[in-house]
Amino acid sequence: MINAIILSYTTFIYFIAFFLYLLFMVMGRPFFGRLATAATLVGLVAQSFAIVLRWIESYQLGIGHAPFSNLYESLIFFTWTIIFLYMVVEWKTKNRTLGTFVTPLAFLAMAYASFSPGINSKIQPLVPALKSNWLISHVITCFFGYAAFGLSFALSIMYLLKRMDTPQKKNMFLKLIPAQDILDELNYQMIVIGFLMLTLGIITGSVWAHSAWGSYWSWDPKETWSLITWLIYASIIHSRLVRGWKGKKIAFLSFVGFCCVLFTYFGVNYLAGLHSYAK
Amino acid sequence: MKKEKAKNRSNIIWTLFSSVKLTVTLLIILAMVSVLGTLIPQTNGAAEFAKTLSPALRQLFVSLDLFDMYHSLWFQMLMGLLTLNIIICSLDRFPATWKRFSKSPGPDRKKPFERLAPEHTFAIHTPRTDAGSAVHDLLTSKYRKLRAKETGADHFFCGERGGYSLFGVYLVHLSVLLILVGALVGSFFGFEAYVNVVEGETVDTVISRKTRTPIDLGFEVTCDDFSVDFYENGTPKEYQSEVTFSVDGKKRMRESIRVNHPATFEGVTFYQSNYGTVPGNTVHLTLLKGGTESEAISLKAEPGKSLPLPGGEGTFSIIDLRANIMDLGPAAMVSVQPRTGPAMEFWIFRHPERAKSLLPPPMLNSPKFNASAFAPYTFQLAGLDTRYFTGLQANRDPGVSIVWMGCFLMVAGLFISFFTSRQRVWVRLSKTKDGLSVAVAGTCSKNPVGLQRELDRLTNHLKQIFQKDQAV
Repeated sequence: MINAIILSYTTFIYFIAFFLYLLFMVMGRPFFGRLATAATLVGLVAQSFAIVLRWIESYQLGIGHAPFSNLYESLIFFTWTIIFLYMVVEWKTKNRTLGTFVTPLAFLAMAYASFSPGINSKIQPLVPALKSNWLISHVITCFFGYAAFGLSFALSIMYLLKRMDTPQKKNMFLKLIPAQDILDELNYQMIVIGFLMLTLGIITGSVWAHSAWGSYWSWDPKETWSLITWLIYASIIHSRLVRGWKGKKIAFLSFVGFCCVLFTYFGVNYLAGLHSYAK
Repeated sequence: MKKEKAKNRSNIIWTLFSSVKLTVTLLIILAMVSVLGTLIPQTNGAAEFAKTLSPALRQLFVSLDLFDMYHSLWFQMLMGLLTLNIIICSLDRFPATWKRFSKSPGPDRKKPFERLAPEHTFAIHTPRTDAGSAVHDLLTSKYRKLRAKETGADHFFCGERGGYSLFGVYLVHLSVLLILVGALVGSFFGFEAYVNVVEGETVDTVISRKTRTPIDLGFEVTCDDFSVDFYENGTPKEYQSEVTFSVDGKKRMRESIRVNHPATFEGVTFYQSNYGTVPGNTVHLTLLKGGTESEAISLKAEPGKSLPLPGGEGTFSIIDLRANIMDLGPAAMVSVQPRTGPAMEFWIFRHPERAKSLLPPPMLNSPKFNASAFAPYTFQLAGLDTRYFTGLQANRDPGVSIVWMGCFLMVAGLFISFFTSRQRVWVRLSKTKDGLSVAVAGTCSKNPVGLQRELDRLTNHLKQIFQKDQAV
């Protein structure tokens, strides 16, 4: 189980990355920022390696399947998508401040996966219902959706923090956060990407459910909560595109949206339903 | 433009249903209602939950359909309102969009050039006609629609692409309607049912989940074989049913049904759903004579067929057989017919110790549970042959293809509305004292960053062309 060892190191690396991003913003020294990016990249590469290794190991155990089959594996993949997406955004926007708000999410998810006593890190065989080609596309689309909503959540926090900044203030941390309209635009872009991915995730899930359970929609709690999340983000997009809502309102709504995402991901496990694999 | 419309149709209902405020309100109400639906157990768990409520509250829940709210009238009415809202909104806005799409602005518009970026303008010395045809060639290669106009000192070109982007939103809304229509078609013309088929047996009806009544399939389904595989750690690996479909006794199709691999015959799709066992036709018995193990006799019996007792004291038969009775495991009812006198009937268990520890003493002491009732024999149930039955979900849903079409359209529509943009670019060639000045400007329906990038590219491209001309 070398993959689990690498993954627990990754948890630590993401914490260091968070610390470096924070240092960069508090001290305002770009050197720490570059170091933080390097650390995050090291974490991402190590994690990708561990995921591939885990995939290979499952084949060596004779129960080969993509490492997306239980809560442990899904948390690992969630972290991977959020860091991957963040790296793309950092590279595109050439701005590192978002890292301070995203790496803690990654670190927390990894720490939860590694240290929570209820979570089994063993590679388990797939139950018949999960043996489907749709597993990979369903999980990838859903988690990219979750990751984009996670970034939108982080951007909303930044937006609300930036509101406290005034030209008179000399707070380096706040000064480094990009201007409000840039954050707002980026936030909206993340919501749009997340919405498209969530839509794809729900559709692939429906197609899969149709072949596994015979019904493309059964109002199972996880299905219903994904629909709730979809409805919330749909209303955010409508209020922005048609009613012109911006800034603070969108930031608050993105909070609500991300809470729904979290409930779809974790909270639903406390309700009975068909999606009991991810417990 | 919107106000005009409202005046034309001075109709409150139209105004109400064409408002996006209503859309957002409905979306949020639907979301909140759905939250409620996940907190209150629906259908399956509802009965148990209902017991914990006070009678008055239970009555309220029942009358509001809260135990099956997704199929309730008021939920469907909410969906209906949303549908109406989507239709009216789209009808209300479509003419304006069509106008935006079809009406091209004059190529000599001044407005796009008002906020001309300095980096998007440069001077050249190419003759005007040559420059004009160069710009024309470049723009036609990149843009579908191109119009040009000469006005005095200026020569304008206007190129446009991505006009379809304006219709993305209508595709998305149409897709929502398609999905809802598909769901309606499914619920009116389809059914969701299940059936258990014992290995070797044939059925021609399935049981509706909604009405709990049989539905005639019009063909026969035979389960030839069922198997279940386990992993080393004991968790199930695969359930598989070998099924033959026949019409009027004629075999038509043989299929393996596994989880995630359903089989469809005559429009009905069969899914592997669950499985179980029923007692088979052979019962293994041990008869102890005189209560000592040394005289144990093993026998095989078939239910309903009487066998002679080993010592010729009479006959016995198995008259009832249960795979699992009252959670005590397999049990059989033995009827012994002595040569003279009345028959004696009693139950024997596969696990007598378990029965002893779980059944109340008065029951145990009754002759009905005394395996040694007929002296000198003690009957023991050594084992049952069991047969598997496969539990199949059987659905007919003619709406499914409409739903998938809606899903495809939704993704395409979202992609078009989020990631494409209508771009219009203008190039102006103006005469100056010592040559021509080239200016590049543009407008877009969304993604202004992308437009700036496009204008940068276009400017560079033009500069390259004209530099080449200069070199020659």
